[in-house]
Amino acid sequence: MRDMTSSEKVFVIGPDQISALPPERFSVGTGEELRVVLVVLPGVSPVIPMTFDLVGEGASVRVSALYLAAGSGKVRFDVLMHHRAPHTTSTQLFNGIAGGEASTVFSGRIIIDEGTFGIDAGQENHNILVSDRARAESDPQLEIYADDVKCSHGATVGRLDEQEQFYMRSRGIPEDEARFLQLLSFASPVLQSLPDHCREAVSSRVSSAIRSLLAQ
Amino acid sequence: MNDILLEIKGLHASVEGKEILRGIDLVIRRGEIHAVMGPNGAGKSTLSAVLAGKPGYEVTSGEIVFDGKDLLELSPEERSWAGIFLSFQYPIEIPGVTITNFMKAAVDAHRKAKGEEPLSAGGFLRLMKEKMALVQMKGEFAKRDVNAGFSGGEKKRCEIFQMAMLDPVLSILDETDSGLDVDALRIVSDGVNALHTPEKSAIVITHYKRLLDYIVPDVVHVLKAGKIVATGGRELVEIIENEGYDKF
Ligand SMILES: Nc1ncnc2c1ncn2[C@@H]1O[C@H](COP(=O)(O)OP(=O)(O)OP(=O)(O)O)[C@@H](O)[C@H]1O
Ligand SMILES: [Mg+2]
Repeated sequence: MRDMTSSEKVFVIGPDQISALPPERFSVGTGEELRVVLVVLPGVSPVIPMTFDLVGEGASVRVSALYLAAGSGKVRFDVLMHHRAPHTTSTQLFNGIAGGEASTVFSGRIIIDEGTFGIDAGQENHNILVSDRARAESDPQLEIYADDVKCSHGATVGRLDEQEQFYMRSRGIPEDEARFLQLLSFASPVLQSLPDHCREAVSSRVSSAIRSLLAQ
Repeated sequence: MNDILLEIKGLHASVEGKEILRGIDLVIRRGEIHAVMGPNGAGKSTLSAVLAGKPGYEVTSGEIVFDGKDLLELSPEERSWAGIFLSFQYPIEIPGVTITNFMKAAVDAHRKAKGEEPLSAGGFLRLMKEKMALVQMKGEFAKRDVNAGFSGGEKKRCEIFQMAMLDPVLSILDETDSGLDVDALRIVSDGVNALHTPEKSAIVITHYKRLLDYIVPDVVHVLKAGKIVATGGRELVEIIENEGYDKF
């Protein structure tokens, strides 16, 4: 059995933490496992380019990101997941919430090189718009030059479910609180992937950011 | 205290421009249980939705007075605080929100509306446990997401559990019996009966006599094509069971 070396990186990007942008390139070698969690809080307009090079056999990458944009904020991700070696796997979950007049772009490329095999690549990008003027764009691009490949992607842009809202309100939960619970549940898969030592602190910053976003 | 809990006068309501309720008059006194029966598509769930304040249901004329208040002026959450509870015919799934968090938000909002402090964590969990026991719901449901992946019967039990938590004055049970097996039907009916007091009323919407053998109505209405076409006692249930709705 091969040894897996595993590393975990967390980036929280907010008005008071702008230095925390991730590096533009991650290289993942043989048997390495990289986990990246990104949280973008409202009040910044970052452009975040990230290239993941899976260069060694069995390399694996898991990225989860939650991005909240409010006011006139703009958030942009340019992600390239490049599978260069056999038996490499990647999963991406990018969940975005946009309120106010904010706009977000997720541009996600997956390249699977010729000559590789046993590749498993997944990408999900889901967006919720909480105001009429907010915009979210999702642009997945798959370039697959190999045969033995499992590759899936999903992209959605939507609004909060009104049936759920009415159900909660019919139980006495005020409309804003219902929306808060819905957004928190949307954020939850990313928050759950945070390491134990910072999950609580980051989650509480996210919940206050959601509340202020709803109050706009 | 006024003896009348709910009075509906000349209610017309439309959904997406289509008139569904075409002149409903109904008076419910405190303590009374009213059954509403009627063919598919008659407007029974529409009436429930209008009472609960569902957006998109437009009242074009008529009025509804609940406990002395103009019900149509109230938001869905205000109606809940005022004591209205709707057990949904098709309960909504809310993935990502646990029953515990959902009910904590609901109970705290009710308490806040009454000017009360939120319950302590311990007090809340005891209340949950007690009310889950009432409908014999297993404790593990507390951690599950609201209705997500529940069987049809489990969803209906969960509705009555929520009703028990919120202790409403007027409960509207929209086909709470559908999807229940014989044992669950008895458990849920016992739960509803246990919550009933002389100050509280209920509207029980059903297609089947069986439920009304457990939850015994004082008054029975037949709703057909958006109007109440007959009102009577329990004998109406027997007539419907034997002869259907053609004669109404
Ligand atoms: N959102 C909607 N858009 C269009 N028509 C609707 C909508 N909701 C209800 N209706 C129509 O209103 C009518 C009454 O529906 P409702 O659900 O109130 O019937 P019901 O008496 O509860 O029937 P059932 O016994 O089948 O539950 C039906 O013809 C239905 O198709
Ligand atoms: Mg119905």
